Amino acid sequence: MRSAFSLLAASAVPSPRVGSAVSLAAELVAAIATRASFEFEAWAQRIFRHQFERNAPYRAFCERRGVRPETVARWEDVPPVPAAAFRRAELACGPPEAIFLTSGTTDGAARGRHLVPHLAVYRASALGAFEHFMLPDGAHLTHLFLVPSPELRPDSSLARMCAWVGEAFGRDVEWLVGGDGLDVERLLARLADAERCGDALLLAGVTSAFVQLFDVCAARRLAFRLGPGSRVMDTGGTKGPERRLSRAGFLRACWTVLGVAGYCCVNEYGMTELCSQRYDSVLRDRFDGRGLEPRRLLGPPWLRTRILDPDTLEPVRPGEIGLLCHHDLANVGSVSVVLTEDLGRAVAPDGIEVTGRAAGAAPRGCGLLLAELGLS
Amino acid sequence: MSGWCETPAELAELVGGAVRARDRLGARTLGDAAEALGAAAVRWGTDAQLLADLPAVARLSPPLVAAAVRIAAAAIDTRAMRALVEHEFGAGAAGRPAPRGPSLIGHVLAGNVPALGVPAIALGCLVGAAVVVKSGHDDPLSAPAFHRALEAVDPLLAAAVVTAYWPGGERSWEEAAFARADLVVASGTDETVAALAGRLGARLLAHGDRVSVAAVSREGLGRDEPLLERLALDIALHDQRGCLSPRAVYVEADGSPSPQAFAERLAAALDAVARELPPGPAGVEERAALRLLADEAEWEPGSRVLNGAGGLVVYDPRPAFRPTTGRRTIRVHAVNNLAALPLILAPGRVECVGLAASGPEVAALVPALRALGVARVCPIGRMQQPALAWPRGQRLPLGSLLGRPGPDVLEVEG
Repeated sequence: MRSAFSLLAASAVPSPRVGSAVSLAAELVAAIATRASFEFEAWAQRIFRHQFERNAPYRAFCERRGVRPETVARWEDVPPVPAAAFRRAELACGPPEAIFLTSGTTDGAARGRHLVPHLAVYRASALGAFEHFMLPDGAHLTHLFLVPSPELRPDSSLARMCAWVGEAFGRDVEWLVGGDGLDVERLLARLADAERCGDALLLAGVTSAFVQLFDVCAARRLAFRLGPGSRVMDTGGTKGPERRLSRAGFLRACWTVLGVAGYCCVNEYGMTELCSQRYDSVLRDRFDGRGLEPRRLLGPPWLRTRILDPDTLEPVRPGEIGLLCHHDLANVGSVSVVLTEDLGRAVAPDGIEVTGRAAGAAPRGCGLLLAELGLS
Repeated sequence: MSGWCETPAELAELVGGAVRARDRLGARTLGDAAEALGAAAVRWGTDAQLLADLPAVARLSPPLVAAAVRIAAAAIDTRAMRALVEHEFGAGAAGRPAPRGPSLIGHVLAGNVPALGVPAIALGCLVGAAVVVKSGHDDPLSAPAFHRALEAVDPLLAAAVVTAYWPGGERSWEEAAFARADLVVASGTDETVAALAGRLGARLLAHGDRVSVAAVSREGLGRDEPLLERLALDIALHDQRGCLSPRAVYVEADGSPSPQAFAERLAAALDAVARELPPGPAGVEERAALRLLADEAEWEPGSRVLNGAGGLVVYDPRPAFRPTTGRRTIRVHAVNNLAALPLILAPGRVECVGLAASGPEVAALVPALRALGVARVCPIGRMQQPALAWPRGQRLPLGSLLGRPGPDVLEVEG
């Protein structure tokens, strides 16, 4: 298997345009590869200066608050834009290499648009975190993706991430969502094959697709025992029109239907507006011998999350619920600090838990990918 | 008789007793029931214990609760109830027993607005049914308090009423309460009523998510009346949680004041109302919604955010239908002409339209609003004070309980 670090280093080609956006992105890719020694504070200030200079709507937003690069003493001083701003403005520091759209509504005008000028940074961030949290054992597995492929959904940041993951880490890759939705029969056949051969699989996809699989298996009285080392990554939750399933119910179904134990089931938390993701700590903790730690969402060193009081935008007391505000330095080409519509709280010194949404916030996220296609 | 019950079996026993008590009411006239209900409402409206306990449970300030109780009690007016039965059942109906109808009606009440149990009990009694009321989470007190008041004035009628509370979705309690019900009227979120529909089927009469809006014509703007204060009151009552709470206001653009100036004055009026009727405590989800509304508006071209102690007003020059999530927040939209209103509003989503407009303007709007599913048109300032005759969801309040579909009704209050 290729190491993600080698992949990242290969992407970090030094640029002759010193001081340019390309150079900054390349340096950031290289810094992401260093992982443990990532200097968040220094990068946060440097990236804010870059965004202030090159992102006109964001600069205007900061100036209305009296914030300029020279007034930012700490990374916490960088003003967050609300996620809704991505629905109203083109928040980019340069021409985009890709435009990703948020899910959640058929009203095209109201969909969030994340313009990403440096796909290499998104790729480096996504692969670095995925490898760390999903593949701590260096496993080299067949990947089954329960999401549409990038060809089917070029505007889906999740599809793009999965494609990179498959290329980098997958022994084989199959996409199980097509134009007609989740290909249940093919998926069942693949699961049966894997069970027969004792192969371990990595199943990654939207939570609603897993729920669909579980329902089919329940109706047909099917269950599989996938090979040891198999694992599940789900994302998006059950926000679509499908049956709601609690987290405990999801984990139970992973065990009874797939034979995948709860400690190999990892929830991913991501947003179209971010180039970095958080992952359920459970697999990483088990690998590191910290199996008694509470489940929590962990992120890579270049992503920090603050829990803010909605009234004051000051941090809440430890353990209290507030709005999640992500500072994602992989968003170098747009805006790094995003105030979400998600509510959550800190768990342990290094993690968070998502507890809900602001009242009346529209359903959104990857959980609606299938619903949007009319497929769930 | 009704009372506290510890188990679903006890509740089922109480419900059975209520149905037997209803049978014993026999030839009593609806006028008698209206007299008793009216007297009970007067008693209930001054229940000091209720007024003391309800604010904390309902998460509303004491002055807001007092206002809500006063409004609910006023709606259960004997003369109005007599008029309602005569209107729906024909002249002389108040002097006769109830028409043949259901023996037991269940009510599942939403928790967003207090005192919903009071009209539920009254309407059930006015069709001669026994009534079992399941209170909402945020007000398990009003319905039992009204039941106590009814017991004090008319024990025989009160014996046909059961009030209860259990956490939503508890199947054993639901079964105990509603197994014998001919009809269950449920108010709540679309999700809640959909879940009940799966279990109750055709016996369910559902009232899901709805909002209300206000609209002001040039003529309405020019009147010499405290329009802004009245609108602020409509917004503030129940902390804007009800389906009759305005969540958007449409203002004709070339009147005076301009829509933007109207928004500024509305923000000031909300501050003034809040001094008399302070908002209750807000949960983090509500406070987050406020923050997000203001933050999003900052990114919308031409929008303006007016954030005061009494609420949040967003001036939005686009005439879209984007109802806010409550907690005294409202969008003020500019429209060229109120005639466009039916094209802006979403079908099936709007319960009430509060209007400040001329008689001809109102009359011109009514057919299109009826077609959209609007059930009530009233002057601004009256939105939160519906009569018992309010045809909720365009259904006749009594006829719908008797399974009479009737026409789609829109009540226009002068």
